[in-house]
Amino acid sequence: MMASMSGARGVHRHRSRAQLAALLKVEAKLSLREPYALGVGVALPAVLLVVFGFISKNVPGNVAGSGLTVIDLYVPTLMVISFIAIAISLPRTIVRDREIGWLRRISTTPVHPARLLAAELILDLVLAAVAIVIIIVGGTVIFGAPLSVGIPFFVLSIALAIAEIFSLGLIVVAVAPNQTAATTVSGVLFFALLFLSGLWVQPVQVGGALREVMWYSPSGAAVRAVLYSVFHATPPVPTLLTLAGYTVLFAFIAVRYFRWE
Amino acid sequence: MHLPSDNAAFPGVRRAVDDGPNSRDGEPAVTITNLVKRYGSFTAVNDVSLAVQEGEIFGIIGPNGAGKTTTVECISGLRVPDSGSISVYGLSPQRDRDKIKEFVGVQLQESALPPRLKVGEALELFAAFYPNPLDPHEVLESLGMKHIERLAFKNLSGGQKQRLSIALALVGNPRIAILDELTTGLDPEARRDTWALIERMRERGVTVILVTHFMDEAETLCDRIALINHGRIRALDTPEAIAAAAGGNRLRFIPSAPVGDETLYAIDGVQAVERKGRYVTVIGTGDLAASLIHALAAAGVEVSELEARRGSLDDAFIRLTRDTASETSEPEEVQT
Repeated sequence: MMASMSGARGVHRHRSRAQLAALLKVEAKLSLREPYALGVGVALPAVLLVVFGFISKNVPGNVAGSGLTVIDLYVPTLMVISFIAIAISLPRTIVRDREIGWLRRISTTPVHPARLLAAELILDLVLAAVAIVIIIVGGTVIFGAPLSVGIPFFVLSIALAIAEIFSLGLIVVAVAPNQTAATTVSGVLFFALLFLSGLWVQPVQVGGALREVMWYSPSGAAVRAVLYSVFHATPPVPTLLTLAGYTVLFAFIAVRYFRWE
Repeated sequence: MHLPSDNAAFPGVRRAVDDGPNSRDGEPAVTITNLVKRYGSFTAVNDVSLAVQEGEIFGIIGPNGAGKTTTVECISGLRVPDSGSISVYGLSPQRDRDKIKEFVGVQLQESALPPRLKVGEALELFAAFYPNPLDPHEVLESLGMKHIERLAFKNLSGGQKQRLSIALALVGNPRIAILDELTTGLDPEARRDTWALIERMRERGVTVILVTHFMDEAETLCDRIALINHGRIRALDTPEAIAAAAGGNRLRFIPSAPVGDETLYAIDGVQAVERKGRYVTVIGTGDLAASLIHALAAAGVEVSELEARRGSLDDAFIRLTRDTASETSEPEEVQT
């Protein structure tokens, strides 16, 4: 009895893995045919890395008394920008798939559409990992950023940053009634998050209240946590708590309001 | 990808029934009892009961907004009924939805695929979802879709999209296929081709539930039909029986002397009278010819050039759906 039950569970697990593998294969092909996430999530940070790398070479020395050079400051910013770009591309596919009835069609099969979303998120994590590697390797090897990654806090900061920002993207997926609304909302959100992450001006350069706003904003807190961890320092506890708080809040809202149809 | 193809001989061979729920002789595939579904204050389905027998093509027909789609969406578990019960081989679409989804194939009205997904990829994906699927290549072959295997969804014609939709509903090797407004928007040739595919599903022993508002489609394909209007079943029988019972008979004749409308309407079963030149046509139900000749003979009028024509399903449809639109009282049910 026990043996046959665990056998049945084994068959179920096997099928479940085969279903996810089939979804991953199809989603990977589709994401190569519609390379939006790949373009803005990986290519954009890579291009920006080159831009800020050259700025750093032409303007050596530390920025606003921070003890860090331009490339040092932009390594974490560019990683977070990659996460933002990938998260913002989520509504493009998922909202469309919902609007055209594809998720509903999937839900009439033995596979819940949540598995399609899972496959999509797994591929996005791969893209984020590729972007991280490009930025760290490019930043140190090509542009000489003296990084010394502290693995435990780096992993924690990156995990929280990705979870937080992907959850924000999923909120857009959850609440946007259609593709047009999703595009509009995510466009505005994209630029707000880019600004707060320090793309145009770093928090250390602005000082005052705006600096605090950036530090405790969703993307700014992520940048700050990553910044400390890539220089082998412990991120400030308020920064980690802020990041964790946003993550929990955004994930809760996204799950609470998510719709498959 | 390797897929079990031991029972994949499609078409022509009856589907192997060694998997899925057990079927007992005579037990219906689907039983709906007193189904009610409301959207806010609008009652979409109002006390519908019906049984679909294993292996038949069961049509659900009715005008737009009659509650056809809602009814089949309750069967597939996409919607939760407000009251009443549904049994699919003894399973509940709500409680046992995961089990039912393994052997019920669904084709949804207005459901598209990601624009860049290719036909072959979609079929392989769906095959991977099911425990005992057909071989996607054989399905493509048998539906005459081999040449569009590498086409992306956005480049398909309307007929090709419908064909893909049927293929996706079939590739999981279902026991029951629910097809909703399958041929809407297709040209006549594509419709005929689609009908042939549905016929072949029946040959394989798949039970088909077909939602349509085309009478010719229902007449050609369906073994039995439920005609639904305003959420209620107005007729439930074979297309021929419904046409005979509700489509009425038309009798055209030339009376030997003028007869007034009141005389004709007084005849048992007469519902309408039309006149054209010397010809008089009465439309009605029952044994019309005998009553007519008898009544007119009593009035001293002889009947010549009598011509009878049976009502079609179309006539029945129009009569049954017009009745409920114009009458406020409880509509009559057609008993056959």
